[in-house]
Amino acid sequence: MALPHPPQAVPVEYLAPQAEGVVVDLCGEEKNLHRLEELGIRCGCKIRMLSPGETCLLAIEGKKMCLRLGSTAEIFVQPLTP
Amino acid sequence: MANRAASDRPPIVALIGNPNTGKSSLFNALCGGQARVGNYPGVTVEHKTGRMLVANSAFKSIELVDLPGTYSLSARSADEAVSVEVLCGEMPSVARPDAVIVILDATNLERNLYLLSQVLELQIPTLVALNMWDRLEKEGMRLDAEKLSDSLGVRVVCTSASKRIGIAELQSALLELLDRGPGADSQGILERSALASATFPEAFRNSVDELEAWFVSQGCPLQRFQIERLLIDDSQAHSHRVIPKRIASAVADRIGQTREHLASNGVSIPLFETRARYGWIKQRVAGVVERQAREQRVSTSDRIDRWLTHRWFGLLFFIGLMFFIFQSITGIASWPMDGIGFASQWLGQQVESMMGPGPLRSLLVDGIIAGVGAVLVFLPQIAILFFFIAVLEDCGYMSRAAFMMDKFMSALGMSGKSFLPLMSSFACAIPGIMATRTIENRRDRMVTLLIAPLMSCSARWPVYVLMVSAFVPKQAVLGGWVSVQGAVLFAMMCLGALVAIPVAWLLKRFVFPGEPSTFIMELSSYKWPSFRVVAMRVWERVLSFIARAGTLIFVTSVLVWAAAYFPGDHSLLDQTTAKLETEQASPNADPAKIQAWTSQVNQLKSDLIAKSFLGVAGQWIEPIVRPLGWDGKIGVAVLASFPAREVIVATLGTIYSLGGAQDETSDGLAENLRSATWPDGRPVYTLATACSIMVFFALCAQCVSTLVTIRRETNSWRWPIFSFVYMTTLAYLGAWIVYNLMSAWLVP
Ligand SMILES: Nc1nc2c(ncn2[C@@H]2O[C@H](COP(=O)(O)OP(=O)(O)OP(=O)(O)O)[C@@H](O)[C@H]2O)c(=O)[nH]1
Ligand SMILES: [Mg+2]
Repeated sequence: MALPHPPQAVPVEYLAPQAEGVVVDLCGEEKNLHRLEELGIRCGCKIRMLSPGETCLLAIEGKKMCLRLGSTAEIFVQPLTP
Repeated sequence: MANRAASDRPPIVALIGNPNTGKSSLFNALCGGQARVGNYPGVTVEHKTGRMLVANSAFKSIELVDLPGTYSLSARSADEAVSVEVLCGEMPSVARPDAVIVILDATNLERNLYLLSQVLELQIPTLVALNMWDRLEKEGMRLDAEKLSDSLGVRVVCTSASKRIGIAELQSALLELLDRGPGADSQGILERSALASATFPEAFRNSVDELEAWFVSQGCPLQRFQIERLLIDDSQAHSHRVIPKRIASAVADRIGQTREHLASNGVSIPLFETRARYGWIKQRVAGVVERQAREQRVSTSDRIDRWLTHRWFGLLFFIGLMFFIFQSITGIASWPMDGIGFASQWLGQQVESMMGPGPLRSLLVDGIIAGVGAVLVFLPQIAILFFFIAVLEDCGYMSRAAFMMDKFMSALGMSGKSFLPLMSSFACAIPGIMATRTIENRRDRMVTLLIAPLMSCSARWPVYVLMVSAFVPKQAVLGGWVSVQGAVLFAMMCLGALVAIPVAWLLKRFVFPGEPSTFIMELSSYKWPSFRVVAMRVWERVLSFIARAGTLIFVTSVLVWAAAYFPGDHSLLDQTTAKLETEQASPNADPAKIQAWTSQVNQLKSDLIAKSFLGVAGQWIEPIVRPLGWDGKIGVAVLASFPAREVIVATLGTIYSLGGAQDETSDGLAENLRSATWPDGRPVYTLATACSIMVFFALCAQCVSTLVTIRRETNSWRWPIFSFVYMTTLAYLGAWIVYNLMSAWLVP
């Protein structure tokens, strides 16, 4: 699970409030990833953290979405420095 | 190919799109329908048809089908399955649509086009409605609809469904599409090579070709799109459920082999699909959408969310809001309620003055006016409750509340998805149970469905309000801001939800164990509630409340009246009543006579009701309900209200109108209840009795329609029986505990 993403990529939960990042990888069971991608959470999309936590609130390409994936999937983002 | 066999059937047009994109609003705008609209995903969970009349066309009308929202055609939840079934012509009650309107949220084009890319593959004439057009500019975006239409190859119409903009244009585009009739060159059906599936890997397409032929050889021809779904979706998905049993295992083998073959050819199922579709989308939207580069600023909506979704403040706000709503309902509604109460008493007096005493007058006054009237008094409360619910639903707050509750629900092993159905059960459990269709996880859905009837639905209001207004002191505390009655009412509202917590935990732990579920939900944008939406919701509910009072409650009132009136001989009572009324009407009435006759009438009445069918039944029931602090009359009234709980108010209205004390200053049912006594003269109703009744009603499954809905949604009688048994047991135990605690502590 660890290798293929660029070194600076972090799981989305690690984004600070209001910080932005670009999704670089999705890991986990494929049927869950399929769902995430159908919902527009896919590599290359921009995420802004609104409210961190186990259930977090994200703005994905400007649309707010709440998310709690537990251990079923992991979203890796490359933080964008403002 | 969609083919309308006989032209006498109106063409069927389905409305499909992502959740919360305005499908139901558009449906209402197109056909004047009354589909429910709300600002959170998952409002519509069932298909709904409506007729749109058209002039100057080959057909007189079009049948529109509003569908539940879905992000894709690989259905995972029961509501999404409804949409897919209708589109693929698998729904028995709806023929395969002749055309589809795909509603896209213009402010989120790429994601919405994913569904369109799949719908186009169904090869049904398609029209695109680019909705939320009015919000585009506010979001700092520009969109070239003509260019989009050219690059997609289907007609695109810009609309604002809630503002009714672009509706006429959409109608005429639809007529044009249908008039052209099915044919290879008709617009709205793309060439195979233009579809997103044409960009799937070649190995995959070849396998689909082979499977297509194989299914024909098995005597079960499937649409190409269905075969693709079988290959891509996992075996739990909806697409696998349409395979006939006789070939199910052969299909599973065949699909398994094909997947292995594809995997060895480097096709990674299912992820290649999303990648291919988004690749197709990227090509189509190139140069169509322009986003103004905005400096990253915190919008108003973000600022509101920072507070409303705050870990502690958000929760406090939610509880405070609910408290405020219940307080204001009790406050605002008391005037119109008094008005309706007066009206029904006045009507009763008019009837009494027009007819002499006898069975017909008794039926009208004691049965119908006292019974149905007692329930109708609560109409203003129901209207105000639904006003608040509609405002909350349409402003966008509900999805925030679900987000906050997820933290709490996940501790029970459930998710925030369960919150919305439970919240809607506060209005009525039936739509709440239907709304559990949006929950993907089957175990979560079952738990939610089984606890939904514990939420305090609006039919419990009449019972609570009657008891509270009769037995809880009318006081205000905390500087006059909080009324005690409102606070008790709020506590009763919370009781069911609080009891639901351990019930859910037990069910999740022992009956439906499994992995904790995940939670993904889109938050709707904030907006001002629309007057039309709110008014429609209140109106619809008021009508259905009146309809229920006019049918079910009317009938039970008459039955209960008959049970309480017969078989006694009323001739002496009628004579005495007539004498009493004549005396009362005469200018020089003798007070001593009036007093003597009044007490004779009261004595006769209570003797008659004690000997009636109902009285005898009460004696049977009394030992069972005695531990709850109830007498036989309450026992019978509760028993009569098992089909529908608000019946109890009507039943008590009738019982106490027939057998209660005749009192000139009678202040309706509440007063009658206060003056009811045991044979030894103690009052029947104390605060403890009233609370025991309320707790019983808070927890009991007294609603046949709810049980029937549970049966329909779970496809088995097991679950409604289970709900009934567990809720009735809880109700009895709860009422017993409350009565005993309160009589020990409160009453000397
Ligand atoms: N600004 C704006 N709001 C709209 C428009 N169309 C609908 N809405 C609002 O969007 C919300 C959702 O509308 P619905 O018609 O319930 O959406 P739906 O697609 O049927 O939703 P589901 O049944 O949950 O899938 C409501 O609050 C509408 O008032 C529009 O064109 N512009
Ligand atoms: Mg809808």
